[in-house]
Formats: sequence, structure tokens, C-alpha cells
Amino acid sequence: MSAPDFEAFLAKIYLDEHARAKFLADPRGEALKAGLTASEAEALEKIDRLGLELIAQSLERKRRRSGKYPRNY
Amino acid sequence: MRRMKAMKDRFGLSWRRELAAGILAHLDRIDVVEVIADDFFAAPRRERRALRTLAVQVPVVFHGVTLGLASSVAVETKRLEETARLCEEVQPDYWSEHLAFVRGGGIEIGHLAAPPRTAATLEGTAANLAKAKAVVGAAPLVENVATLIEPPGSECDEASWIAAVARASDCKLLLDLHNLHANALNFNYSPLEFLAQLPIERVAAIHLAGGKWIGPHGAQRLLDDHLHDVPDPVYELLAEVGARASQPLTVILERDGAYPSIECLLDQLDRARRALAEGRRRQAGRAREVAA
Repeated sequence: MSAPDFEAFLAKIYLDEHARAKFLADPRGEALKAGLTASEAEALEKIDRLGLELIAQSLERKRRRSGKYPRNY
Repeated sequence: MRRMKAMKDRFGLSWRRELAAGILAHLDRIDVVEVIADDFFAAPRRERRALRTLAVQVPVVFHGVTLGLASSVAVETKRLEETARLCEEVQPDYWSEHLAFVRGGGIEIGHLAAPPRTAATLEGTAANLAKAKAVVGAAPLVENVATLIEPPGSECDEASWIAAVARASDCKLLLDLHNLHANALNFNYSPLEFLAQLPIERVAAIHLAGGKWIGPHGAQRLLDDHLHDVPDPVYELLAEVGARASQPLTVILERDGAYPSIECLLDQLDRARRALAEGRRRQAGRAREVAA
């Protein structure tokens, strides 16, 4: 797999509540299932969980406010 | 691009519809206006004409939010061509973008996400910046982003990564001091050490903004929301930059909502002027001491 796949995986867990819940239950397993490398899976095992929740909440709030995925500047 | 070299520090506001009347009525106190370029890519002809008219009245700089340059994925040529067309039409003094990724695997994040700080994203970012320079005709100033999450998979700290990007791309920096303030608080590092690691001579512009605390009690993080006034530590960081940088700086106050009166925003700009001037004085004082 590649750096673009890693970025795509991050985009998914930032935005998709279901994918995030599955990931948080088994970070390594979900990363490997997505085709990421062992070192990428290891990095994701150490993810900043509070930060992940906060960024997800922040994006969700913005989406509810604007009715779409908004930008921030 | 006008390629106009700013010879002195300039202070301005971000252009928002809600602030337009106030900005136009106070151009004697506003040196420059920062416009979100992406807002005009698909704008009707009359809006683009209005933007050209604005650029005749006051120096305009462009700020991009959707290119996603800090990524291992190649930036889309179409988006760069839109930026190029708008720059050609309006002739801003410069254009800028964020060191962020904004999409991945076909998903639009809708947010300026901090990239994993790795060799792969460094290489991708440098390639994207080279392409941006080739298509638009001038390289963007690149801005540090605020992040609520420590970017997963990162191999180095933020300052080192930004310095490496600047070296690899030969780009100038737009230093967002509220983003720096927020990240330093959220991830427990010294903003002064961050400044010491940056190639400060590459900083050409500064962003100021405000934010709010979010998250559970005892584990809160500062969100850069552009909805609040500039906090005191950000002015102190501006003075620090003034004490370290000798080149002229363009300082932009960003506000995206919960708009106060224009007087309140102008007061914050005046405070920014004083902070930077104080920093410049400190630098001059040190130079005199060394000379003596």
C-alpha cells in the first residue's frame, strides 16, 4: 500500500462514524484489512484517540451547520 | 501576479461579505485585503468584476483553501488552472495555500487536515508546490495549519517538517500565529522553540485569529474557529516574530463569523500594529547593543 492509501484511510475515519467505531475497536485489524502496511497499522494503533474524537465532532458540527461538508479557512 | 514588493509592514482583514461595507468605509485603516480565491472560481461575471474593482481600491492577496497541497496525492491541474485564471484577472500581490490535505480516496474531508509528517508527504508536497508554481506562474506562500489531532504516522515535529518543505520547495511562509498558539497548547510544546526552528527569513505573511476550548473537562483542546477575538498570547507571538524577522510582513486578521463591529476588528488590527512595532523595536535595540 502507499501514502495515498494512508491518507484515504485517515479521511474515512475522520468522517465516517461507523468506520471510526470499527477502527477504534480494533485499530490494527481494521488498518490491515484496509490493506495498509504493518508499520502503518502500528502507527494507527498509537493514534491520538482524543484528537480523533474531537476532529470527528468538529467536522460533524460543521456539516450539520452548513448541510454539507464545509471548508474551514 | 503583480510581483509588487511590500516595502513596509501591512495590516489587513479577510474579505467576507458581512464585512464588506465596513472594510470599504475604512480603507484609510486597512492596507490590504485577503480574498478566498476558491469563492470566485465559479462566480458570475459581475462578482469577478466587483473583485477587480476592489483590487483597484486596495491591494488584494489571494488565499486558497481547497488545493490540498500537503499530500502524497498530486494536486488537481484543473484547480490550479482556476487559481491561475483568477490571478491573471485580478493580479493579487501574492497567493497562499495551506499545508494540509483536504481529500483522500475520493472523500472530501471538508477541513484542512494536518498531513502525516513523513518523507512521502514531504516529497508529495514539494512536487505539488513545484506544479503550483508552474501552472499559476508564482509559488504560493504556504501556511501552517491548526490541528485537533496529532497527525497519525508522523515521523517528525511540525516545525521541522515545515522547515523541510520550505527548503525543498523554496516557498515563502504564511505563519498563522493562532494555529501555532493552538497546536502548542494542544500538544504541549513551546511556540518560541517552534519559531526558533522555522526559517524566519522566509515568513512573508502572518495570520491572526481566535478560537475556543472544546472537549471533555481536563482534556480540552483549543479549536481555531475564527469566531473569536485574537487572544493576548497571539499578539505576544507577533511581537516575537517582529523581534526575529527583519523583512516586511503582511498581517491579516481572519474572522469567519460571529462578526463584531468593524471598529472592534480595526482595534485588533491597531493592536497588531503595536505588537509588531514593539517587536521591531526589540530587534533594533538588540542590534544597537551588539554594535556597541
